[in-house]
Amino acid sequence: MKNETAPAGSLKRHMGLKASNTISNTIIYILLVIMSIVWLIPFICIVLQSFRVESTWQVGYVIPKQWGWKNYIDLWHTDFKKWYLNTLIIALVTAVIQTVIVLCMSYTLSRFRFKLRKPLMQFMLILGMFPGMLTMIILYRVLKDLGLTQANAVPGLILVYVASSGMGYYVSKGFFDTIPKSLDEAARVDGATRAQVLYKIILPLAKPIVIYTILTAFMAPWGDFVFARYISFGTSAGMNVAVGMYNWLNLDQIGQCYTRFCAGGVIVAIPVTILFMCLQKYYVEGVTGGAVKG
Amino acid sequence: MASVKLTKVKKVYDNKVVAVHDFDLDIKDKEFVVFVGPSGCGKSTTLRMVAGLEEISDGTIEIDGEVVNDLQPKDRGIAMVFQNYALYPHMTVYDNIAFSLRLQKMPEDQIYERVTNAAEILGITDYLMRKPRALSGGQRQRVAIGRAMVRESKVFLMDEPLSNLDAKLRNQMRAEIILLRQKLNTTFIYVTHDQTEAMTLGDRIVIMKDGYIMQVGTPTEVFERPANLFVAEFIGAPKMNIMKTELLKENGKYYVKPFGVKLPVDGEKGELLAKKNVPAGEILLGARPEHIRLAKPGETSIPVTLEVNEMMGSELHLHVYTEDGTRLIVRVPTIDLTAAERENLVQGHKLNITFEGKVMHFFDEENQTNLIY
Repeated sequence: MKNETAPAGSLKRHMGLKASNTISNTIIYILLVIMSIVWLIPFICIVLQSFRVESTWQVGYVIPKQWGWKNYIDLWHTDFKKWYLNTLIIALVTAVIQTVIVLCMSYTLSRFRFKLRKPLMQFMLILGMFPGMLTMIILYRVLKDLGLTQANAVPGLILVYVASSGMGYYVSKGFFDTIPKSLDEAARVDGATRAQVLYKIILPLAKPIVIYTILTAFMAPWGDFVFARYISFGTSAGMNVAVGMYNWLNLDQIGQCYTRFCAGGVIVAIPVTILFMCLQKYYVEGVTGGAVKG
Repeated sequence: MASVKLTKVKKVYDNKVVAVHDFDLDIKDKEFVVFVGPSGCGKSTTLRMVAGLEEISDGTIEIDGEVVNDLQPKDRGIAMVFQNYALYPHMTVYDNIAFSLRLQKMPEDQIYERVTNAAEILGITDYLMRKPRALSGGQRQRVAIGRAMVRESKVFLMDEPLSNLDAKLRNQMRAEIILLRQKLNTTFIYVTHDQTEAMTLGDRIVIMKDGYIMQVGTPTEVFERPANLFVAEFIGAPKMNIMKTELLKENGKYYVKPFGVKLPVDGEKGELLAKKNVPAGEILLGARPEHIRLAKPGETSIPVTLEVNEMMGSELHLHVYTEDGTRLIVRVPTIDLTAAERENLVQGHKLNITFEGKVMHFFDEENQTNLIY
């Protein structure tokens, strides 16, 4: 008798567990779908508005009555090209230099043991807690003295973004720490120099963190507004897209520029979206990989 | 092919911990030397200092007559096999083995020849295009050995290469290392914590403890003539039985009196005690489990009680305790006992044992050194 009831009870418990799992999963998925829709609505609106050609100001409906490419074509008759190019140059150069600095810094702190290593790491951690905005005034003064503001804001901004990049070593150092040191040692015995160990052994193994570093290094200047506005200071030639397009939202311009602003937003979002779609696997691995031992 | 000479080599870490004290050793060309000792004894540190992976705090290391203290690992003419294999996970087996040759900018056809030769010797030809993650532990270790082989180095360093393998594979790989050594015919320095590996592989064994060398000798020397109590207990499995006893000298003949039973010290050991004129007194007596036997009827013996009987196949390891509670291990060949006698050997069974006087070891109670060697 006991033998018959025991499996039946266990089956019942199993079924109950399965049902409760299904319910909780359903609730989670419904919530996720709602959140996705909420997040997507602004993007969809911007894309739709960018194709509206019957008027250029803000309207009370989302789906255009007349569709066309006019807003996109108009973009190229403004300074948008210049701003876009500025942004691209700043983001690309920053991404390259910052990635090199961050990876070298992380490798050094992960693999080398030297005096003041720990105090240096602690110092950078504490320094990183202060918001970058605090340095804005002095940075502006320094850049102005160097002639790197307004029309020359592009190299100035690159300098600002790259200057403190070594401090962003934490995530990639955490990732490097998870790679066994015996691999470095084996490579050194095999005849590799420290630099060869880094680019032939460590970096191929740290692909997710390298991509994560490149993406974050690219994203920060690509979307920056505050520093870019401060340093370009009203000179269109030195502006990035965020600052330039922001001017279209001024009260005196918004009536003529709103749909063009939406088209510009779409163009700005395209490279970042493509980058993330292609590299999201590595990006997630990079974030979680670094987090394990970070 | 090269000799390796370590003179007063010392390693002090930043936190002032001394890992290796004044290490002196002369390794001859083509010699297979094994560093053995418990964890933290400094054996791996010493090997890493030879490899150039660890800085030397003091002393000199010479390879083939050249001081290599300040040379990079790649310039020392060494190859190394690591405990955790240290294979490059993103490369195929072929690329792993070819890595050092490519760094030397060797032409690809020569690289191909060396890699395939090594793979053939190690039996990994079928796996050359696989990544390390698709290999078993034994195959990975072979790749690691192959990577070291192709460098054709003067000295071959191995840091506990079999520790990560299961017992069966370890035995198999141990035999393969012996064969490999015959093929390569080069100088080997091998680190292990396993005394069986040390005894079976080494021409000479360096036994270490707390950064000091306890004894250097051939496997036979360290087994038969341990310099001190540590070596006596470390080498041999099960370990040597040690008991506090009295050494008696009567009419020029020596006796020991373990557990109140007077036993003569016969043969070479007795002669050596007399030759060294060792005074009578309290000593530590050592007897290996195979040198204690079950006493024959009427023989002078020590009564003991059986606690555990380990059946090892060809022999029995009997864990017994004496009347004063001292625990001893006795190794009895299975063939020496009848089936009925074996069945009787259960917990609580009373036995009589005796020691082979010819093979006893005598240690100073205070400094634990061997009294006759």
